[in-house]
Amino acid sequence: MAELLVMGDAFAKGFWQVLAWPAFGYMLLGIAIGFWVGLLPGIGGLATLALMLPFSYTIKTPIEAFCFLLGMLAVTGTTGDLTSILFGIPGEGSSAALVLDGYPMSKKGEAGRALGAAITSSLVGALIGAFSLALSIPIMRPLVLLFGSPEMFIIAIMGVTFIGTLAGASLLKGLLAGGIGLMLAAIGVDPQTGSLRYTFGQLYLWDRLDIIPVVVGLFAIPEIVDLAVRGTSIAGSRPEKLSGVMEGVKDTFRHFWLVMRCSLIGVYFGVLPVLGANVAQWISYAHAVQGLKDKSRAGQGAVEGVLGPGAANNSTRGGDLIPTVAFGIPGSGSMALLLGALLIVGLNPGPEMLKTHLNVTFAMVWVLIFANIIVAGLCFLVLNHLAALTFIRGSLLIPFLVLLISVGSFTANNSFNDLVATLIFGVLGYFMVLYGWPRPPLILGLILGKIAENYLWISTAAYGAKWLLFPTVLILIALTVFTVAYPTIKERMGKAKYERPEDAI
Amino acid sequence: MKSEKCKTARVNSLILTFAICILHFSFVRDLYAQGPFYQGKTVKFAVGYLAGDTHDQLARAYSRTLGKHIPGNPEIIVQNMPGAGSIIAANYVYGVAKPDGLTLGSISPALYLEQLTGRKEVQFDWAKFSWIGSPEYNGHLLFMRGDAPYKTLDDIRNATEPPKCSATGAGTSGHFVPRLLEETLGLKFKLVTGYAGGGEQDLAMERGEVQCRAITIAAFFGREPFLSWHKSGFVRILIQTSRRRNPKIPDVPTLFEFMDREKTAEAKRRLALVILGAGGFGSWPIVSTPGLPQDRVKTLREAYARTLKDPAFLDEAKKKGWEIKPISGEDMDGLAREVMAQPPDVIERMKQILAQ
Repeated sequence: MAELLVMGDAFAKGFWQVLAWPAFGYMLLGIAIGFWVGLLPGIGGLATLALMLPFSYTIKTPIEAFCFLLGMLAVTGTTGDLTSILFGIPGEGSSAALVLDGYPMSKKGEAGRALGAAITSSLVGALIGAFSLALSIPIMRPLVLLFGSPEMFIIAIMGVTFIGTLAGASLLKGLLAGGIGLMLAAIGVDPQTGSLRYTFGQLYLWDRLDIIPVVVGLFAIPEIVDLAVRGTSIAGSRPEKLSGVMEGVKDTFRHFWLVMRCSLIGVYFGVLPVLGANVAQWISYAHAVQGLKDKSRAGQGAVEGVLGPGAANNSTRGGDLIPTVAFGIPGSGSMALLLGALLIVGLNPGPEMLKTHLNVTFAMVWVLIFANIIVAGLCFLVLNHLAALTFIRGSLLIPFLVLLISVGSFTANNSFNDLVATLIFGVLGYFMVLYGWPRPPLILGLILGKIAENYLWISTAAYGAKWLLFPTVLILIALTVFTVAYPTIKERMGKAKYERPEDAI
Repeated sequence: MKSEKCKTARVNSLILTFAICILHFSFVRDLYAQGPFYQGKTVKFAVGYLAGDTHDQLARAYSRTLGKHIPGNPEIIVQNMPGAGSIIAANYVYGVAKPDGLTLGSISPALYLEQLTGRKEVQFDWAKFSWIGSPEYNGHLLFMRGDAPYKTLDDIRNATEPPKCSATGAGTSGHFVPRLLEETLGLKFKLVTGYAGGGEQDLAMERGEVQCRAITIAAFFGREPFLSWHKSGFVRILIQTSRRRNPKIPDVPTLFEFMDREKTAEAKRRLALVILGAGGFGSWPIVSTPGLPQDRVKTLREAYARTLKDPAFLDEAKKKGWEIKPISGEDMDGLAREVMAQPPDVIERMKQILAQ
């Protein structure tokens, strides 16, 4: 009981500390920067955080410092989604899944509805992420320790099985694309023995393919070519009027349980180090599409395909913070930088954050909440102007987009080779679209191939074959089998119910 | 007539002013030419790692003070050139940048192992870099979970099942320190490699997936969770690799003490020196292009040494937990020549150890 009182007190204290001046001002500044970073394709939260870090050193108290940094980071997920929907170009690496159904909506002239849905689901996702962070404070440490390398391997394999769902109309093409992705994941220095695989004498390939140039190439270039060929604006020759924003907001609540489930997927992947938003978006997209009654709507502008990843890539932020706070162990690259900033301002993440600095931990929860509410409001205000961009003639838009994606790709490694990789994957992406090959399985294979390989190796090195019989591993295997079989089971049962009356007749 | 005279006078004075101006400018230009080389120039700091890495954070900290200590006060800009464990940056500083002293590099201290093992991607000669300096040299340590049944090195030697040590991959200190202990002291470790980074290994240690790990002493005393682990006895330090015992861990014996006790053969000692040579370059060595004019190397070394004593820099270092114990460029230059001059049998054995 006394513990609850302490927590309640810290909860309230955190609230007022975030609202106090100048902390709140720093948060607004962070939001303003994050807003643009998210919108601009390729330029991610991680790079910006690194650039902004020195400025945060001049800030005196820890709360003010992460009001600035976390505020900035928290909103990139939302504004990144907008770019994906409007231009078919991922604003952030973790917003790529929104291209699949969001952009077709823009092309149909439904940009307003898609944006409304993305912003609202992002907000819901972020709030759920923040609440999960708050709720998990008492059980943080055991929660994170539950997942060892063998468990992570099975989770990665579970992710790989989603390739089947992401394949869309042609299962065979999807599986092949996923296989190519897994093969591309093998490029680079093998982390176990240090041998070089498929590097062809290129130092650039030593560190494995960076996900940003691949995503930008696969998704952005084909859309730009398509826009140039069509010679119209993105939204075609429809009348200039943006409607349906409210429709999008309503969609979020119409599919509320989907949004909830996808948010939880995001939290879950955020907690697991290494996986994060890049994987969560695809899994939740697959989950959303799997639930469609009319499967042919997938990729043609189904609002569910916007809601799922929109919620998930925002809720991962809350999940990310859990291992960071509980162990001082960052859940992602951006969290590693945030951790560095916390140390500078004299805060020691780890067990201390759950005892003596509990109010600071709760202040983080509040920053996530406030920043997301503010940015959602801001987005709704400028929505009309943003959506109007889809009515601009393509020839005026294209040079600007090409410049942005080039800069974005280049920031991955500051290497000219990033641009070469973008172009190569751009050509590949163009032909994939032309011949009806799905692109998401390739991305998922590329991300998960590396993770699965590493954890399989670590598990075997640490435990031999014993890990296969760990109870947690067995449960996860059962869960994977169930997820794979679920649609078939559902279909069978559905058919059975449907057939019965006929039999009766 | 009078007005004409006036006019001429005015024209004359104009010409005079003009002439003075030209003279003045040429004089100033001469002053410039005789001024310090670095005046009005920009020094590029090529960092072989991503933004946010310790290499990067240090370089950005230098960039705020280093220019002040170079005559002519050049501007210093940091450029991230990540990739291939900093080989890309090393190749750039060595072969692409002009030998004019306007390019510095922050690279991995263990890159020479790549050169010794004959990687064809290596386009530098470690011994020929212009060595500028390094912020610290503390060596490595190996720590073990406190609840593991290995209290001393003898326990490891006599154990039926070797302890499991974590590492990111081959060629890193987490990998070569345990391998070296096997080679020189006859111990046995099971290496679990493939972790994505430090944080992941910390978790694996908490979870009990692994029991031991080798890292630099600077890193161990530079960040959490090691500080808490050390304080609470969650981990125990078994050995350190520097020549003398570090004052922070005076009870922990060094590898050299053990080698004396075990009467390790001379060939193996030599191997230890080559592999631990990486420690002699510190964790974050600074190099410049080979073939610089001697005075410029001197300028850069002096400026770097002064930066490491600059109160503004030391203040930041203290907050970040960086322990500053400078190594001079001259010492590094000597060490670089020494470690590169190895007989073929030592190199052959080293290749085997590093590839295991």
